[in-house]
Amino acid sequence: MSTEQSTTDFPTTEELSGPLLTVKDLRTTFSTPRGDLTAVDGVSLELGRGETLGIVGESGSGKTVLSRSIMGLLPRSKTTQTGSILFEGTEIVGAEDAVLRDIWGAKIAMVFQDPMTSLNPVVRIQRQITESLRLHTSMDKAEAKATAISLLGQVGIPSPAERVRAYPFQLSGGMRQRVTIAIALACSPRLLLADEPTTGLDVTVQAQILDLLSSLQAERHMAVILVTHDLGVVATRTDRIAVMYAGHIVEMASTKRLFASMAMPYTQALLRSTPRISDPSHTRLTAIDGRPPDLINPPTGCAFAPRCTYATDQCRTEAPPLRTAPEDPTHLFACWNPLQTGHAGSVTTSKGEN
Amino acid sequence: MSSTTDAAPTSESLAGTPAAPKEKSALGKIFWISIIWIGLVFLLAIVASWIGLDDPNNGNFALINSSPSWSHPFGTDDLGRDILSRVIYGARVSLIVGFGAMAIGMGLGGTLGMIAAYRRGAVDTLVSAASYVMLAFPALVAVIAIVAFWGHDIWKITIIVGIASTPLVYRVVRAATLSYATREFVTAAKAQGATDTRILTRELLPNVLPTIISYFLIGVATVIILEGALAFLGLSVPAPTASWGNMINESRTYLSDNPWLALFPSMAMFLFLIALNLVGDVLRQSFDVQESKL
Repeated sequence: MSTEQSTTDFPTTEELSGPLLTVKDLRTTFSTPRGDLTAVDGVSLELGRGETLGIVGESGSGKTVLSRSIMGLLPRSKTTQTGSILFEGTEIVGAEDAVLRDIWGAKIAMVFQDPMTSLNPVVRIQRQITESLRLHTSMDKAEAKATAISLLGQVGIPSPAERVRAYPFQLSGGMRQRVTIAIALACSPRLLLADEPTTGLDVTVQAQILDLLSSLQAERHMAVILVTHDLGVVATRTDRIAVMYAGHIVEMASTKRLFASMAMPYTQALLRSTPRISDPSHTRLTAIDGRPPDLINPPTGCAFAPRCTYATDQCRTEAPPLRTAPEDPTHLFACWNPLQTGHAGSVTTSKGEN
Repeated sequence: MSSTTDAAPTSESLAGTPAAPKEKSALGKIFWISIIWIGLVFLLAIVASWIGLDDPNNGNFALINSSPSWSHPFGTDDLGRDILSRVIYGARVSLIVGFGAMAIGMGLGGTLGMIAAYRRGAVDTLVSAASYVMLAFPALVAVIAIVAFWGHDIWKITIIVGIASTPLVYRVVRAATLSYATREFVTAAKAQGATDTRILTRELLPNVLPTIISYFLIGVATVIILEGALAFLGLSVPAPTASWGNMINESRTYLSDNPWLALFPSMAMFLFLIALNLVGDVLRQSFDVQESKL
């Protein structure tokens, strides 16, 4: 257990065996005035040490709720959770705050979407970084400050020794997000959850932040779950991708396999709606017609059927189970009429270059 | 922990220049005059016994109801007591009751307000209901009744007025905390493993402190007026102890013979209250500006 105390230690070989995180049949339900809303519905996944998983889906697909469920951060009073989330042998579902507090920050950390709101506006960034160091390690004030300065240097903030005294409003958006990454990394977590970490930033800064995350991850042998709506973001930076729709994982495969032969029409639609730099200017943006389904009264059959061009009568009456692709057992998808490899091929080649 | 300088190709880093030092002059002259005046009243009240003032409670019967003069700059009252001395000693009562009662109100109401806004649920419902019950009861009548039965020494008055101010403070602090309690930085702090106490004191308190400070000052002003009202009804500190309220009350009888008797304690109270209100107001405004800059 003492390995978490220091930021320089690597996990021992014994700890390296077995998955870091196992989610089994997770169901997260909110009670709302209109009825129960199942935001995450029967999700199962596994994450190895040092692995990067991308979770992709449009707004309301349950990806943020899934990442917060994994962390156990959802408010107790209006949420019910069933299923199991095992993190290094600790059950997260239904755990007491006292148990979770030893995990939060120390073993699982989170980078939030908007650095404007996830940093406390009236507290110097030094204290916001040293907070978790002081909570989870035995560092004294001076050591924690030195670590904070070194962390700011690692996330690429110039003159960190002076910036550590700054307030969030004195930093630009990109710098703020670097600070939130430094905060998340302070105690060398095993798993980093990044919930749309670049959505609030402009495009040039986006790439810098994502590259920073990748390099820090490789350096620290840390697993990352990258939640985003943008397939372009996860294309080159993840080992595996899980596509979510209406609270379900509808397709999951290694990144290579997914882009080479996606099976779900929804994945294809998501990819098509990603604007590409190679497109001529004034190209109309492609959007997915219709809206995500009402999760309080989910439709029967496949949740994507009403918006799917390939939908058949079977799709509208019977929900497709998550099954494995015949030629690759790690490729899972939930579709009655999976796309042929040829379907997606034309899209893939142009994407692969980016 | 090796340093990775190659991860720093930052164009955006140029945007974040170190901040200029905060300009104090932005608060304005009136603010500083008010601060100096409040400080002076505090100082005089503290050192009253050591600066050679006349005894505030034993007068010179040869010189009653005199107008201001060199030996008695504010004149003397109906018992020949020095009014300057009594105004300065009287400040002690106003300050102790005003700041003491608000400290109690803030301690109780502020703590409960922050906890209720952060925890919500049953705690919030119960404490809020209790605050409504207390607010529905006319505070002045309640204070008068309790003071009349329990006795009116300065500490008892402070405690009673403090408790009477609790529900008001509770509502203000709860409302201020509520707007921050659901912000993402609270979730972010929780995700770092911070305990509830830590989140309340280190994340939420710095954000609601501006509201607390400016409300505190305006609350002190209100309590000092309340002490005056109690004194007018003869329910403040017992005679012969001087308080601004007591002096104004005593001056009623001699208003036509000796207007100085009423003027000086009234002026002291008026100037002190206006200073408190101005400081509270300027602080509130300057905090508002900062919030909008974010």
